[in-house]
Amino acid sequence: MADFETQIKESQAQVATAQAKISEITGKIEAARAKMDAGETAIGIENATLDDVHKHTDLMNANIAELIMGLDDVTAGFSKDFDEMRSKTGMESFIGIFSDAKSESMRQERMRTASIDSKLQDLIGKSDIIVRLLQGQLDLLNTQKSKVELNLGGTLTDREAAVTALETVRTDVAALDPKIIELENKISVEQDASVRTKLETELAGLNGRYNALVQDEQVQLAKSQTLERYIEKGKTWVDSLTNQAATQLVLINKLQTDTKQRVVLYDALTSSLKTAQQQDVAHRINEIGVKTDQEAQVAMAAIGAATNQKMADMLEAHEGHMVFARDVLEQKAKADERFARRFAKIVEKHDKNAYGE
Amino acid sequence: MSDQVKDQLTSDHMEIYDTAVARRYFAKFERITGHLLRVAGEVEAEGRLTRTEAHTLGRYLAAVAGTFQALSHKYVMTGRADGAAKLTFDRHESGFPVAQELMMMALDAAQVAKHLGGMAAESELKDRMVRQIVRDLSVPTQLQFALSQRLYYEALAAGDIFWPRNDPDCQWVQDVSRNGAERKHFLVHWAVYDTQVNLPVVYLMDVEDSGKKPLPHDDRRWPQVQAHLMAQSLAGLKLLTIAQGFDKDFAGLHPKRLRRITLGPMHSHDFTLQSGPISKVLADAKAPDGDDWALVWTVEDLISDREEEVKDGWFSTAERQVYKLDPIAADSGTTRMERMVIMPERPYQVLAELNPPGFRDLRKFVVGDGDRIMPVR
Repeated sequence: MADFETQIKESQAQVATAQAKISEITGKIEAARAKMDAGETAIGIENATLDDVHKHTDLMNANIAELIMGLDDVTAGFSKDFDEMRSKTGMESFIGIFSDAKSESMRQERMRTASIDSKLQDLIGKSDIIVRLLQGQLDLLNTQKSKVELNLGGTLTDREAAVTALETVRTDVAALDPKIIELENKISVEQDASVRTKLETELAGLNGRYNALVQDEQVQLAKSQTLERYIEKGKTWVDSLTNQAATQLVLINKLQTDTKQRVVLYDALTSSLKTAQQQDVAHRINEIGVKTDQEAQVAMAAIGAATNQKMADMLEAHEGHMVFARDVLEQKAKADERFARRFAKIVEKHDKNAYGE
Repeated sequence: MSDQVKDQLTSDHMEIYDTAVARRYFAKFERITGHLLRVAGEVEAEGRLTRTEAHTLGRYLAAVAGTFQALSHKYVMTGRADGAAKLTFDRHESGFPVAQELMMMALDAAQVAKHLGGMAAESELKDRMVRQIVRDLSVPTQLQFALSQRLYYEALAAGDIFWPRNDPDCQWVQDVSRNGAERKHFLVHWAVYDTQVNLPVVYLMDVEDSGKKPLPHDDRRWPQVQAHLMAQSLAGLKLLTIAQGFDKDFAGLHPKRLRRITLGPMHSHDFTLQSGPISKVLADAKAPDGDDWALVWTVEDLISDREEEVKDGWFSTAERQVYKLDPIAADSGTTRMERMVIMPERPYQVLAELNPPGFRDLRKFVVGDGDRIMPVR
């Protein structure tokens, strides 16, 4: 499947770009923190950058979801195999015109060598490639998340300290106010010039301290606000990372469940087909003895025709015997629902076969 | 419809999420696979397997042990490290990992060089672990995970693994003479991990070769024989079907005896769900962790009764085998079928007390103190 290969390459490239962008943002957040420690107040993370990353990861996830849907097309190859097992080839049909028995015996021989092992391995391999791609992305998201979270934890402590400092300054300022008023009152009623001068010097001192405190308050306020903005941005980023990680998990889950079930189903189908075709014949041949091989071959043709019905019956009987289906069914339903919720649009497109619109 | 079928087909698959459970599962199998070799030795001593056959079977058993060893490395960090994979096993009438686990392993093995090349060596990983423990006072989960994967890939590289398909091998046994013609007697053996029942299955086939060139050196026939046998190795096919198909498709080869040894299922009260008396036996035994298991092992045997000459086309004839079928259970497609069960003393005690009808004519092997194997009638 060259198509699958190109799609994989495309997805890999997109994942790489997304990862670079995600790392870049985390890098910026960390750089901003370093700058803040150095006393700067400007933060270089803009909403535009975050949006850009989101847009890109959306694109990437859509691409991977399509890739998962694309596996369906890979598996379409299986049904061709099954059809071949059930029907006769051109040559066999041609020979069937002259001898039904010979044609049927040729089909049986083809059946005995049929195997879908390599195809199954291929399916598992391809699905594994996608899982690894997703897993890589998930790992990156998780490490980035823990990095930013650690960073945020430190910043929160810093902010607490800043707020406390601000409060202290404010209390100090508030405590100064009555003192200044008291002094001013004293000055307004004081008659003695020397005492008045002394009081005025004291007032000037107090005013100086007051101004210094107010300025300090401004600085602390600015610092606290910067920290707050930083935390806000950081939180948005952590939320976004968490969300992205959830998406990855849903994709991985869906893919693994699907592949697992597909492999089992195809295998069961092959096994049923081969078994139903051959089993009864062998018994009959052995019972009648080889000399009447011809006779058995006539019977074989009838059995071949009954195979499809028999297979349907077998699958139904299987249904009756199956135990403990509920848990798995529920799990599957949940995974499917989550997948559908997140990728409703792509699913719709896929169902309508409306790519490229 | 197809979705429902899919769900039902995988409904008895079960994932192991917990670290302790995963480790217990593998510890159990480490014990069991150890006993299997001893049981094979016991069967050989009774004269029911020849030296060659016992040796061949022993190789497959060792490979099964190797597979479990490798998988135990792969899953040792399940539930502890981020991104550690989880083992899926079949909990109904198997107890073994699902076939996909082995297929994944085969895929991993194909890329083993790439993985090992990019990984730090064991000693380096350990060194870094010590440094992290001493310096950061934290558990080096990630490094432990890396080491577990390294050990897994090393085990794959070392070989002696039971793969999903173990292609046929051929061994000369003796020369025989039939109707004045010289024939070579070969033991053809191969093994698959059956994807339907999720169990390892070993096939042993005695073939007489009347071809001009000996089978293993015949480039015209041997690859075809291999492909044919692998494609026919399904648990759903009766031995009679497999043997007859082979007899028919290869004129110069005469399958005289075909044996199929199914290694399993493994029953355990804690891990698997079973129906029938074994369920009660294991539940009543209330055995401690290491002793809560019973492994059933089935040997199907099909022996040729006589050889007949049939017309094959207008001018040629071919030799065809007519097989001896079990007179009572002719439907089984075998000459005889024997089941053996291997279990520790404690469940055996309960089994002996309950004495359920289905278990009376089973061959029983009891694992006693010091891992001695005792055959019990």
